[in-house]
Amino acid sequence: MGRYHYVFPRWTNLLLPGAIFMAMVAPLYVVYVVAYGFSPMTTDVGYAPDQVIEYSHKLHAGELGIDCRYCHNTVEYSAKASIPPTQTCMNCHTQIHKDSPKLEALRQSYEKGTPVTWTRVHDLPGYAYFNHSAHVNRGVSCVSCHGRVDRMDVVQQMQPLSMGWCLDCHRNPTENLRDPSEVTNLGWSFKGTEQELVDYHDFWQDHNNINPSQDCSTCHR
Amino acid sequence: MPKMLLYILLIGLIALLIPPALIATERSTVKKKPRVHLVQDMDNQHRYKAQQANEFFEDGRAMRPPVEGTVARNKLNDDAHFIKGLVGDEWATTFPGQIDVTVDLIHRGQNRFNIYCLPCHGEAGFGDGIIHQRAFKLVTAGVNGTTWVQPKSLHEKAIREQPIGQTFNTITNGVRTMAGYGDQVPVGDRWAIVAYVKALQRSQFAQDSDLPAGTNRSELQFEKLPEQETPDETTDDATNPQDEAEQS
Repeated sequence: MGRYHYVFPRWTNLLLPGAIFMAMVAPLYVVYVVAYGFSPMTTDVGYAPDQVIEYSHKLHAGELGIDCRYCHNTVEYSAKASIPPTQTCMNCHTQIHKDSPKLEALRQSYEKGTPVTWTRVHDLPGYAYFNHSAHVNRGVSCVSCHGRVDRMDVVQQMQPLSMGWCLDCHRNPTENLRDPSEVTNLGWSFKGTEQELVDYHDFWQDHNNINPSQDCSTCHR
Repeated sequence: MPKMLLYILLIGLIALLIPPALIATERSTVKKKPRVHLVQDMDNQHRYKAQQANEFFEDGRAMRPPVEGTVARNKLNDDAHFIKGLVGDEWATTFPGQIDVTVDLIHRGQNRFNIYCLPCHGEAGFGDGIIHQRAFKLVTAGVNGTTWVQPKSLHEKAIREQPIGQTFNTITNGVRTMAGYGDQVPVGDRWAIVAYVKALQRSQFAQDSDLPAGTNRSELQFEKLPEQETPDETTDDATNPQDEAEQS
């Protein structure tokens, strides 16, 4: 050692290029973590809260084939698809499974006239105004935003429901359009050649004159 | 480089892999807990959305039902024929003036029938819908105190011959174990369903007089149904074939 004790060792030559390299990579890393981590694909998609009643869409809409609109009957007239009132459940459940312990909360609600406290799964920010009827009546199927609910025992959010995701479709809606009479048929798929499918989408776009607005005030008002 | 520094650097680099790993896990799992939005902006505002809860009111609803004895603007409807299917004290035998009976109305009725009626009454109205089939299995197996009365076949004589006002009333207010659909189906659609049910009933109970004049019935059957047994089988499906035989 001796007089060389205070001389920087050779490896310290790496410090400056190392620091420059880190300074370049660190922002990329931060941007990546924030963009990937805070994206609604991470925070919102896959949200499937437990509900007070273990209601299964897979059984009711899938196996029994009850149309979405039997329960969500306001979807064609109103902005909200609406969680059905207890009465709609009781159309059948005054008789079917009427003593089931799983339906205790439902019976309580029916007797007392208080609502069942369902937990909301699909929730837009307070400044976004989505209208179900405007979409459903123009041939955008439930499945485009909600996924195959008829295969879910517990409803799960499938799409980010973010502004960018909305705009993807508002800019290019063609592929999400179908015959409005098939909107609640979640398992529907087009039978025909690729060219026929393109023509099919174009036909419904023309037929219903679909030209979605991208104005701010369309959704934010 | 001192070993110590090298280890710190390595541990640091490995630690940097943890956030992406956590994010990837979060993306691929089903989440039961409420969503976390670190940057709230104005996502959740101090106002109530449709069907939200509000503890201020006794029943916990933020949406208020109309006060008893009040009528919303433009919602007054005292036309008994249209909203109750009554003309005087009798069931209406004609459609109300607001309803134009057209092919479109019957198609609309078919569409609504298939949503609200088909689960129990079945596609053709014989009372054999999928809910009936399932309920019947549950009753047989004795699950959870299930009770069940088979939905009426809409082709029974008594139902076929009832005035349309009564059919409308059944849809609106229910009958026996059937719940009313007055709150679920708007009034115009209920009349459309009545029109479709009438069409459905006629389809299962066609008369010679329904054929265009000059048609030879035996020839028609022979052309359409070469096998002689088929027509008999279709009548057997109806709940009261004898009623129908007597009629014709």
